[in-house]
Amino acid sequence: MTGEHPALALRGLAKRFDGTIAVAGVDLDVPAGSFYGLLGPNGAGKTTTLSMAVGLLRPDAGSAWVLGQDVWRDPVAAKRLLGVMPDGVRLFDRLTGAELLAYHGLLRGMDPAVVDQRAAELLDVLALGDAGRTLVVDYSAGMKKKIGLACALLHGPRVLVLDEPFEAVDPVSAALIRDILTRYAAGGGTVIFSSHVMEVVERLCSHVAILAQGTIKRVGTIADVRGGRSLEQVFVEVVGGRTATGDELSWLSR
Amino acid sequence: MALPVNVAAAPAGPARTVSARHFVRLKLRVMGNNFRGQGWRVALFIGGALVGLWFAASGFFLFAAPGLADNGRYAVLIAAAGGGLLVLGWLLLPLVFFGVDETLDPARFALLPLPRRTLVIGLFAAALVSVPVLAMSVAVLGLVLTAWALGGWSAGLVAVVGVLAGLLLCVAASRAVTSAFASMLRSRRVRDLAAVLLAVAAALLGPLQIVGLAALRETDWTRLTGAATVLGWTPFGAPWTVGIDVAQGRVWAAPLKLLITVAAIVALLAWWSRSLESAMVGTASTGKAPAQRGATGGAVAQLFPRAAGWVRRDRFGALVAREARYWWRDARRRANLITIAVVGIFVPVLINVTGGDFAAEDGAGFTAAVGDSSPVVVTVSMLFVGVLASVTLANQFGFDGNAYAANVVAGVPGRVELRARMTAFSLYVLPMLAVVAVVLSALLGRPGWIGLMLGSLAATYGAGLAVNSFVSVLAAYSLPETSNPFAMNSGAGVAKGLLTLLSMIITTVIGVPMVVAAALLGNAWLWLALPVGAAYGLGAALLGAYLAGDVLDRRQPELLATVTPRR
Repeated sequence: MTGEHPALALRGLAKRFDGTIAVAGVDLDVPAGSFYGLLGPNGAGKTTTLSMAVGLLRPDAGSAWVLGQDVWRDPVAAKRLLGVMPDGVRLFDRLTGAELLAYHGLLRGMDPAVVDQRAAELLDVLALGDAGRTLVVDYSAGMKKKIGLACALLHGPRVLVLDEPFEAVDPVSAALIRDILTRYAAGGGTVIFSSHVMEVVERLCSHVAILAQGTIKRVGTIADVRGGRSLEQVFVEVVGGRTATGDELSWLSR
Repeated sequence: MALPVNVAAAPAGPARTVSARHFVRLKLRVMGNNFRGQGWRVALFIGGALVGLWFAASGFFLFAAPGLADNGRYAVLIAAAGGGLLVLGWLLLPLVFFGVDETLDPARFALLPLPRRTLVIGLFAAALVSVPVLAMSVAVLGLVLTAWALGGWSAGLVAVVGVLAGLLLCVAASRAVTSAFASMLRSRRVRDLAAVLLAVAAALLGPLQIVGLAALRETDWTRLTGAATVLGWTPFGAPWTVGIDVAQGRVWAAPLKLLITVAAIVALLAWWSRSLESAMVGTASTGKAPAQRGATGGAVAQLFPRAAGWVRRDRFGALVAREARYWWRDARRRANLITIAVVGIFVPVLINVTGGDFAAEDGAGFTAAVGDSSPVVVTVSMLFVGVLASVTLANQFGFDGNAYAANVVAGVPGRVELRARMTAFSLYVLPMLAVVAVVLSALLGRPGWIGLMLGSLAATYGAGLAVNSFVSVLAAYSLPETSNPFAMNSGAGVAKGLLTLLSMIITTVIGVPMVVAAALLGNAWLWLALPVGAAYGLGAALLGAYLAGDVLDRRQPELLATVTPRR
């Protein structure tokens, strides 16, 4: 159907806040069916880029397409194809997990019976059923990530955009999230997620892009980008972090 | 095991002690940074400062009146009663209306090795740096002028000391009370109880005022002066009356009254410092609530509260259900609902009933003489209630914070969004308005006016929903992410006040035809008011949602950005 279009295409996306350039012209093509990792140090512009790509933040320049639908010209069509989990965004956290899922499902125009069935399954698989009537605000960090993922998955989106899905998540929950994402990608969905955890990206992704200072520094399949080295080595080299300290912090050791 | 940290090299004590000066500078810096690159914020701030100045000037002349007239008879009365009202205002207004400035959130200092005394004094000093404090210090200078005019330099100097102590007392009182309430409200279990207590406390203001006003007309002024003298010996009046005491030859009273004031300040600060600790610890870990069981039915059935059970299970219904849940579960929103309930009942009662005399015949208490109220007065008071109820929605998206992103991502049409929000809010407010009309008509002994009241309420409330739809879409602002339901950013504080005022004025203008009709149409209007008013309000609300929804469709990402709290 939309096979000829990339799942997500960004052209010249740029954004500045109060005179500081957050994103300086990002071009990116995410092939349909890929598992795409967006790597970058803190403050590189990952969240800003993804927010502009999904219609949460209006770019100063550039465009974004989801499976050929222009996100900023025809937001409704594009948003229908998208499932989004923004980072650091509070959910409507004074609802219980089940209520939150029902809200998201109905908001997406789904049939109530389907919402009920999928919500029950998701809560069960993500081991959130035990939480019962606990409000999401009282969930632990890992549980919040899981319910956020469930909300993004509920309507069966074609493209899943996740901002820092593995941040502050314990290993058990992380493994569960990984399994679900792998299964979703194997079923033909496209996953784009941002992270600065190299191991996860190396294990999961088919493609990566390294973002630093608001521009894409490296992009391609994971094998291309690595070029025989470890991803971490490439990352540190690209970002230009310092690897050794000299005498500066001598007071830290006796 | 861990990094060997050279403990010996760490300084034994802080190199420099932290003083209140640092807190004041920090506050000024935070306020300054809030303005950076935001021209409109500077403009709003200046506007707010001018409003403050105007209040300050009128307060000044009120307090200075006995001095300017060179008439000492009512000096004590004005000083004690006026000053007492100021203290009461500082005590209660932050709770009921305005919120407390949390530019310096105590929780931010939790990890710093500061003694509690330093922290309290520092935060207290920082709290003194604000527009309201400045405005009030100008106003109470009037007392100094009075004391000086009546008693010369010595009295004036004592008055300066008294007034300064009074300012400290006001700020300490507002801090202590809001902090105590906030830490109480932090635990969700206590929150229900506290909300009710707060409502009752605020509600008591109304009857007290009625009794007070009724007493005012009974008593002659000399007896009132006696009451003022007594008030002058409580913390409410003590700081304001010392200057006049000296001027009138009661020099011995001055040190005693100053002592009373200082003792009150110290007690309030001690109270504040105790609740401050729990405020600091409270945000670090709220603890995990025990998982509650008993979920019945599917996810969709759980989302819809019983009151919203009639709504269709679709996008509109989901929005209504979520909003309805939020008006109850979010402490900040619930505080607003309680304010509407309390003020909505007592202000019309005050306006309409105190116009007449109270006759305590048959021990019935409220048997008001009916003749004083008129359909026009009733309509005006209902106008006020409608305006007050609807203005709560002026920052409806600010309540959501960046959770609103969910609606943006789902691409909810603006008209559906606004209509749903109006519906959910009305689920709570319309019954309250009906109660207001019933109670008032019962108090007035005029059951025939109930249609008039309901009609005026519906018309202004509907108009207010429309106006505030625009305000909430075009002029939203972020609320700080704290569990203190009374908190707000100081930068937004002035903006909030002005926007609220603007939307109230516009709503009132739209509601004025109801007053005109009440004045011109006579008895026929008593029957026509309800259907006409209801249609007027419903039409206005729907038109507002239709037009503002269009604006919202174009502004969703911008709106999300403005309600996202800045970190």
